[in-house]
Order: sequence, then structure tokens, then C-alpha cells
Amino acid sequence: MELKDLENRSIFIIREAYAEFENPAVLWSTGKDSTTALALCRKAFFGKIPFPVIHIDTGYKFKQMYEFRDRIAEEWGMDLIIARNEDAMKAGVGPKDGKFECCTALKTEALMKCLDKHGFDALLLAIRRDEHGIRAKERVFSPRDEAFRWNYRDQPLEMWDQYQAQGQSENDVTIHTRVHPILHWRELDVWEYIKQEKGIPVNPMYFAKGGKRYRSLGCEPCTSPIDSDAKTIEEIVEELRTTKIAERSGRAQDKEKTFMMQKLRALGYM
Amino acid sequence: MNVNVVLVGHVDHGKSTLIGRLLYDSESIKDEQIEEIQKLAEEYKRRFEFAYFLDSFEDELKEERTIDTVSLMFKSKLNYYTITDVPGHKEFIKNMLTGASHADVAVLVVSAEEGVQEQTRRHMFLLKMLGIKQVFVVGNKMDAVDYKKERFETVKNQISELLNSFGYATDEILFIPVSAMEGDNIYKKSERMEWYNGPTLIGALDGVTLEVKEKPLRFVVQDGYEVEGEKIVVGRVESGMLRKGDEVTFEPSGIRTKIGGIKVFEDELEEAATGDCIGITIGEEVKRGDVGGIVENSPKAANEFYGEAVLLGKDLKKGETVELRCGTAKVRCEIKEIKEKIDSETGEVIEKYPKEINEHDAATIVFATEPLVVEKFAEIPELGRFVMVKDNKNIGAGVVLDAILS
Repeated sequence: MELKDLENRSIFIIREAYAEFENPAVLWSTGKDSTTALALCRKAFFGKIPFPVIHIDTGYKFKQMYEFRDRIAEEWGMDLIIARNEDAMKAGVGPKDGKFECCTALKTEALMKCLDKHGFDALLLAIRRDEHGIRAKERVFSPRDEAFRWNYRDQPLEMWDQYQAQGQSENDVTIHTRVHPILHWRELDVWEYIKQEKGIPVNPMYFAKGGKRYRSLGCEPCTSPIDSDAKTIEEIVEELRTTKIAERSGRAQDKEKTFMMQKLRALGYM
Repeated sequence: MNVNVVLVGHVDHGKSTLIGRLLYDSESIKDEQIEEIQKLAEEYKRRFEFAYFLDSFEDELKEERTIDTVSLMFKSKLNYYTITDVPGHKEFIKNMLTGASHADVAVLVVSAEEGVQEQTRRHMFLLKMLGIKQVFVVGNKMDAVDYKKERFETVKNQISELLNSFGYATDEILFIPVSAMEGDNIYKKSERMEWYNGPTLIGALDGVTLEVKEKPLRFVVQDGYEVEGEKIVVGRVESGMLRKGDEVTFEPSGIRTKIGGIKVFEDELEEAATGDCIGITIGEEVKRGDVGGIVENSPKAANEFYGEAVLLGKDLKKGETVELRCGTAKVRCEIKEIKEKIDSETGEVIEKYPKEINEHDAATIVFATEPLVVEKFAEIPELGRFVMVKDNKNIGAGVVLDAILS
């Protein structure tokens, strides 16, 4: 799709979510996708994002991610909420306990606590279909029950742009709905859009230093850089046009065991 | 050009395998994905399957069938494609419709071994209802019938008969013999079927032209914001063009006004085209669900309309009230009369004026609605299709055959 069409569709989804839900929030990892989603929210609302921005802090993020977060939050005047699972952090939960356990405790459970506290009924999330096979199966509006479960075997009918704003399967209660405004974007689209828009800030970790760059940002212990010489946005766009390497190849939590992503997401992982 | 393609057909006729093959042959698959699938196949003691690129749920691998729809993007020499796989099992028709609703073009996959089956029929009936006019047919698994022309012709005749009965002009439809498993006539011309002179599947898709029909302006209102003291109405141009200074009527609110300005973030526009999500300043209050159009050809609010729908929820009774969504409107709506209950597999009328319909039934229905802008699906499809909602769940979908104005 043309960037214009991608953008229009995203803005439509963001405005639908804002109209349909009482208390939405948007998740921001500081990575390229969620920063682009925030830029799209700013466009949808003519500058100021009218709901909180949540950053899940595992305590294991790269120093550059924290710096970037605080700088951009200030610049864009965000209502920033930092979600941390303090109990798990105090107990010293980390990747040594298993990546599945660590992601669930420090990300999923941190988010659960944050939702409990603030009562958000919708979460905007910048996942994309082409990132991972499991994410490709998502709906634009995707319901979650009180235990955060994703009932992937019984997803809502979602035809044309008629999203289901409430309701899960029989006997289940939807506590919140995941809203995916850039589900239809590819990795290359994101970078081409960043190149076109100019005003979208990019974490410097994406640019190559000493023959390596990060292609996907996560927690420091579980994220590794790829071989690359792309030092500018233009060079990243060029690299992605021809690469045969998967985007999340540097993300360890996808690979610890088979169907890890499905298992994480069934429990409410992003 | 961007083309949305959906693959439909009966379970196990090879839809996922065919898409996997398209992705593989167009070199859209990353090395790591191939390694992952090889590992997976070993772990689960299965042979390497192209379908595993799409069937990414563990359940799908174990059950050896697609459960949920999935859309993937790839590029040929000519076009960008968003290609959608849908499950071929009756249990997952809801997911099939979700996947098919955005398609410009459909590829019907029929196994040359098995020929037309239940979901071959149901999928085609539903596609016809959704207004998907461009269809290609592939006779798959030609490898399993020794690439024999006679077998292909037999299946082709079967399918022609079916498509004819649903109102498709079969002499304009291309039938392609393929083997998704072996890669015959998908991306590369097969040397094993010299008797076939037509294009490969990708050749056929690359030849698609998308019809652009001139339509009147329809602008759906999503919301109203106040930005630095200024009131901005936001929404989408569903059809036609919107220009600054246009005289516009909004229905059902009945407000007539002039477009003062067209706003996007940090910018003002002179005009907006179909698909554009914009803000407008009009000096009047309109509400979510309203539809705007140029006064000379403005939308009308209806209190009743006649539609064809398919039900995916348990049942729907005459006299019952459901919620109906069309454009951004959400209204209460009574099932005033069910005229015909239709078998969604065969397209045949099973009962006239029934008291109720059940899961997977199609029906023609008279809806009595709160004032709602609807258009004939044949004229402005963007506002001629609707979703029915019961207990907050989307339970069915349909198209407007005719509006009865108040």
C-alpha cells in the first residue's frame, strides 16, 4: 500500500478507538513502530495525544532507550505512565529465570498492574502483521478477558472496517481491547514513512556503529544487534529492500522454545 | 499498484500451501523463516510444508488445517500484493469472511483430485454476496492426477456450472491448472502441462485491472474535536471528492452547511479524495454516524431497508432487535421480516417467510431501523454493507439491496 493509504487507515483506526472507548491508552516501547504510532496519534488529534502513553519498564532496557523516552516525552508533551512490576523487580526476576517467565513477569504482569490501577478499557499497540506469524493472526480490535487471555481460536468477525468494540466468547468478559493501528504496515513501510515525515524521532541505536545496528529494540540481555553498515534512515530503507534476515532475529524471547510467541501472547503479551 | 487477493476454497485443497509457494517463489521469505519451518517439521516429525509459513498457530500445525485468516504482503515484478489466506472449514466461516472482506480479487482453489466440495460452494456464494466480481480458478494438486488434461477439464466443468449458478460469467473467468506443492504454473510455467497455454497464476494476477467507478461524495463522521478553541469534525471520505467551499448536507442530522476548511495535522487542504481521513470546519454540530454529501446528490436517511445477510451467531428471529453498524453509525434495528432463508452452500431458497434463521444461514431481510444513511450496495458499496451486533458481538454481515426512504 502507498504510505498515504497506510497513514489514512491508521488514523481512521485511532479515531475509532478514541470514539468507542472511554479510557484508552497507548503503549510505547520507544522503538520505531510505537514511536511511529505515537506520531500517527499526534496527527489524528492535531498535535496533542488526548490519552496517556504507557511505557513498560522492565529495568533491563538499554540506557539509550530511557534517555530517548524522557527526551521525547518532554518534547511531545506526553502524559507518560511508567509501568513496572515492582514486586518482581525486587524479587530479582530476570532472564536467568527463563525468558518466558521473565517476559511474562516484567512485561505482561507489569502491564496488568498498570491496567488495574488506571482502569484502561483499550490499549493501542504498535504490533505489525509482518513481524511475526502469530501477530499476523490478530484483529484490529482484539478483546482480552480479565486474565488478559487472548482467545485466538474464537476471534471476532471483523469485516470491512467494522471493529468489535466489546465482547469476547461465551461466558467471557472483555476487560480491555487491544487496538492495533499499524497492523497493516511492513517494517519497510515504517522506515519509508519515517524518511518521508522527517519529524519522527529515531533512537540512535537503530543506526550502525562499528558494523552493527539494532533492528528491533528490546531488553538489553535479550536483544542483539545485526551486522549492518546502515548509518542513516535512507541506508536503512535500502538495506531492508534487499535483506534476507528476519526483523526479530536479534530478539531472544521469540526463540527459546517452539511457539514461544504464541504462548506469551495467549497470556497477554504484546 | 496494490492488489488485495483472497484465496478461498474447501479445507485441504491447498490454499495455504499455494500462498506459501507464491511467497517462496517470489523470494519474499527470509532465510530464518525457512530454517524455523525446517526445525519445526523435524520437531513435530512432519515433512516440510509451505503452508507452515502461514499456519503459525501450534493448533494449526497439530490439526493440519488453517483456523484463522492471515494476510501477508509480497511483491511481484509489477504489483504489490496483500494476499489473504482463509480457513476452508465450515467452523471458521467467521474468519473466512473477516479475511475476504477487503479483497479486490479472489482465487478459488479447487483440488483436481476432489473437485467441488461444500466450502467451495459456500465460499463462492459468500464472495458473490460481498460483491467480489474478479475471480480466478486454480485446479490445484495437478501432480496428484498425473497432470492430466482430462481430469482438469472435468473439474473445470464442475466449477463452471457452480459459478454460473451464482451468476458469474464463466467465459470471462480464467482456469489455471497448478501444483502448489511442486510449483507448477504458480510463478513458473510448468513443463509438465504442455496442453495448457494460458498464464501462470502470478501472470494472471499481474494482469488484473481494478475498476475505478465515479461515485458521489459520502463523508462519514467519526468524531468532533476541539483544537485550540476551534471545532473540527473528523471523518473519512468514503467515496467521491470533498472540496473546500462545497455545500454539504449531513444526514440523519439534516444539517446543511458549507465546508469552511479541510484540515490535516499542521496543514490545510483544498480538497480530499476517497480514503482520506480528514478534519473539516463547518460551523455546525454534526454527530458520529452522520454522513455528508454534496447537496445536489446528498445521502438520505432511511427508516427501512431490504438487505441480504449471512448469520454467524446462533439464531436471529423475526421481530427481534439487533444493533446495526454501517459506516460509523450504530443504530437499533428490528428484524421486521425475513423474506427468504437461503442455504449459504447452494444459494437456494429453503424457506419463505421463516420465523427465524440459524448459524450459517443467509437470508433476505427487511430491517426497520432508527434513521440511518444506507446506500444500495451496487451503487455505493462503502455505505451499502453492514454488520449486525448482538450482545456486543458481531454476529453477521450483509449488503443493502434497496433502501426504503422515510
